Amino acid sequence: MSLETARPRGPHGESAALAFRATEPGRAAGSAAAHERSPTRGRKPRHLTIGRIGLYGFVAIAAAFFILPAVVMILTSLKTMPEIREGSIFALPESFDLTAWIKAWSSACTGLDCDGIRVGFWNSVLITVPSTILSIAAGATLGYALSFWRVKGADILFAVLLLGAFLPYQIFLYPMVRAFSMVGLYNTLFCIVIVHVIFGLPIMTLIFRNFYAGLPVELFNAARVDGGGFFRIFWNVMLPMSTPILIVAAILQITNIWNDFILGLVFAGRENLPMTVQLNNVVNSTYGEREYNLNMAATILTAAVPLLVYFVSGRWFVRGIAAGAVKG
Amino acid sequence: MKELVRSMLVGAAFSLAAMPAGAQEKPRAEVMHWWTSGGESAAIKTFADAYAKAGGEWVDSATAGGENSRAATINRMVGGQPPTAAQFNTGRQFDDLVSQGLIRPIEDLAQAGGWKAAMPASLVAAASRDGELYALPINVHGQNWTFYSKDVLEKSGVSELPSTWEAMIPALQKIKDAGFTPLALGGQPWQERALFNAILLQQGGKDLYMKVYQDKDEEAVRSEGFRKAVETYGALRGMVDAGSPGRSWNDSTSLLLRDQAAIQVMGDWVKGEFTNAGEKPGEDYGCTIGLDDTMLMVGGDVFVFPKTDEPAKKAAQDLLVETMISKDAQIAFNLAKGSMPVRKDVDTTSFDACAQKGLKLLQSEEGQAPVFEILVSASLAGSVDDVVTQFWNNPSAEPDDMVEGFVNAFEIEG
Amino acid sequence: MTAPRKRLSTATLVLLPFWAVVIAAYIGTMLWTVQISFTASKLLPVDDYVGFAQYERLFSSTRWIVSMQNAVIFGVLFITGALVLGFLLAVVLDQRVRFENTLRTIFLYPYAMSFIVTGLIWQWLMNPGLGIQKTVRDWGFESFSFAWAVDRDMALYALVLAGLWQASGLVMALMLAGLRGVDEEIWKASRIDGIPAWRVYLFVVVPMLRPLIVTAVVLLSISVVKAFDLVVALTNGGPGISSDMPAKFVMDNLFTRQNIGLATAAATVMLITVAAVLVPWIYAEYFRKTRKGAAA
Repeated sequence: MSLETARPRGPHGESAALAFRATEPGRAAGSAAAHERSPTRGRKPRHLTIGRIGLYGFVAIAAAFFILPAVVMILTSLKTMPEIREGSIFALPESFDLTAWIKAWSSACTGLDCDGIRVGFWNSVLITVPSTILSIAAGATLGYALSFWRVKGADILFAVLLLGAFLPYQIFLYPMVRAFSMVGLYNTLFCIVIVHVIFGLPIMTLIFRNFYAGLPVELFNAARVDGGGFFRIFWNVMLPMSTPILIVAAILQITNIWNDFILGLVFAGRENLPMTVQLNNVVNSTYGEREYNLNMAATILTAAVPLLVYFVSGRWFVRGIAAGAVKG
Repeated sequence: MKELVRSMLVGAAFSLAAMPAGAQEKPRAEVMHWWTSGGESAAIKTFADAYAKAGGEWVDSATAGGENSRAATINRMVGGQPPTAAQFNTGRQFDDLVSQGLIRPIEDLAQAGGWKAAMPASLVAAASRDGELYALPINVHGQNWTFYSKDVLEKSGVSELPSTWEAMIPALQKIKDAGFTPLALGGQPWQERALFNAILLQQGGKDLYMKVYQDKDEEAVRSEGFRKAVETYGALRGMVDAGSPGRSWNDSTSLLLRDQAAIQVMGDWVKGEFTNAGEKPGEDYGCTIGLDDTMLMVGGDVFVFPKTDEPAKKAAQDLLVETMISKDAQIAFNLAKGSMPVRKDVDTTSFDACAQKGLKLLQSEEGQAPVFEILVSASLAGSVDDVVTQFWNNPSAEPDDMVEGFVNAFEIEG
Repeated sequence: MTAPRKRLSTATLVLLPFWAVVIAAYIGTMLWTVQISFTASKLLPVDDYVGFAQYERLFSSTRWIVSMQNAVIFGVLFITGALVLGFLLAVVLDQRVRFENTLRTIFLYPYAMSFIVTGLIWQWLMNPGLGIQKTVRDWGFESFSFAWAVDRDMALYALVLAGLWQASGLVMALMLAGLRGVDEEIWKASRIDGIPAWRVYLFVVVPMLRPLIVTAVVLLSISVVKAFDLVVALTNGGPGISSDMPAKFVMDNLFTRQNIGLATAAATVMLITVAAVLVPWIYAEYFRKTRKGAAA
């Protein structure tokens, strides 16, 4: 089956086609960039009018609202503790002092050891990479199966999954610890990855199901007529069209898994504790002193990986959802 | 169910034991605790060093936040991979673990070591079940201290800190009129409750305090003495600054450091903040237990030792108990932690002026009362917090509301 | 006709491991939760059945009632607010404003930060002695007041505000993506017909974005029901119990208060409440919409 014949038609076909183009080898990056600059997107540009001024006014106020906490965080991270104790939270630091950042990364105490938050960095990577890949693979497969293949009881499966997403993680801890220790997997890297896949399943399935449900059925039927089976259609037809939604899913999962604390603490085992455990140890002392400059630096440093992912994939993220969004 | 848990634990322990068999000759102890800040880290290091010196290997598993650390500990035990030792607060947090047979009794070690008699009786009682010691108390934190800024008192024309709450209220009013915040309080339920308990113990006396929390006596709750404590507490609602709700205790201490507020009622960990800011007890700031240095509310931390059938793990636990309770380690640890040694028979000359007051009271049983977490279940403690915080934060709540709240909480929790 | 059958069985086979996970993890935990809610379990689960005692206790608790009411108020304001704000931000960014990439990152970054600390920042900002109020008063506006986090009547709205700050960016990203997919022909046609832009957005674009809005609503609802970090970091449920939320009630009883029985009863009530909303919706949304031509 050629991809050309599979190109969908109909009122909302454009965006699926757009997703398609973007994934054609060799053209991906170029066409994406070209599209960004394309004048045909969005509302027509206008000259500076009252409306335009109002628009920028709104943007400015909104940006100020969003950025204010970050400003306070960064200012605080650059101050010394006496400065923080004495001064206003908006006051500028007396000197540009990166001590807290260096300490947070490499010498803050997190228990007996004082090696900063870097200790868990590679553990977090080791947990996040396979968990993200596997949970997306699972969600994509299930979402695809649920949208195109009508298997008896599949809707009940989906309903239970969605319902389960509303139960606090903490409730799952006891039964899951029991179950994993019964099969001898408790406190291993494998264990924490499986746990993330299980907890990621509802949202991943929802996203992929909504995405695939938006694709024209003709596409699928044509592939069936060509004799495609379950996996062949998934691999050859659906997956190549899913790049954008895959990126969306990756961003959601990387953020959630990277920031997870309680699951890592309980399931990963002492050798595999993620970075957030160290972050918690830095920022969350009850009876000990609180070094706010350190707390702010440690928080921003820990968030650096998801932030970097947003930054790098920002364009894809946004273009991504576009493809699946406007249909259904 | 219990049997199942136990057999699983044993099974898992065996399968684990099979793997690194004979690998370690040194006693190796994994210790779970929640001491993670700089000062706390220095304290735990004294234990780790002492353990290393005694020939053991300390494996540190720290998780900040008592509830996080305890959750991790309990799940490790349920999952059949318990640590060698785990921190709890003195009190009833580990009741269920003992009754499920998951904790190793250390009575034999206590008998052999002979240190039990040197500990405050209330802490021993709190760590024992049916006369057997199940947890090792390692420090004493006094929790009814009043810290005060000498400067603010002076500037307000209060020459000396009053020694009763009756006299304190007008003094605080005077401080307020002088433009200062009389009471530095972090408005979190546990801090609000700590303040009330300190008042109840000071103003109502130990008898009433014990009748209320140990006996859950409804008559005591409805007594004149209890009501007076509630009224004092109610009067303090007007003595805090607007920024109080939700604030941490550290930020409240900052108000004293900046000479904006006069007094703070808290545990002795507050001293750490003064020390960090370069202030000295007795010189820059004052400290008193209760208000008249007669009755210390004692609490602290304990370690429990999960049951194990492995001789190697048992040996590691034995050595851990021996090390942590040794006189040298007690002095080193508690100096670093800002708490007091749990043994009466150690040399305490190196402790600061505030700690000396507490250490004096620790010598006699009459001068101390247990913190309420030792006397009531975790669940009742939570319900009391709910009652107290609702009273504190509602300016129109009457003392009767709080009394009825207590009666009601005792009734539901039994 | 053997081929379709074979394919059907592939799909069925593929679903088997998912069924295993759903039954073992989700259905298993739900049944376990309901079971434990009928016991007197404290720190560890036990088989000491006490009937509906935990539920009686739950509904006699002022704190639980207040948290449920708060969840409704918070949920309505937060979900509506995040949808509206997220959509507006997306529309604005779609007007070919300058610095779009920077702005998009500014609106999205809160999502990546641990709320333990960003919650503290909001606590500072809304604290009368430290934050915005003090600063504005220092500028000379003596009567200015912004102390939501410490005000019993406003603390819940402080949570809404911080929640919007954290979640709106994600909604914006979803919506912006949707807007980028809107056909330029629609805009051309509307300009020719002289239809005002706001009408096009409201009556043409919003209906087109429906699947995305549904996804956003589900994501936001989950975070309302599970709101815990937000509450703990910003107000800790206070002052008093004025900004308490159900998830915090569950967590307090699950860990600190050693009341698994009560915690699971509360979780069960939450689950039933969610199911009462979710099941009819899922039925309307998915069950009846059988896709024409899907493999049967």
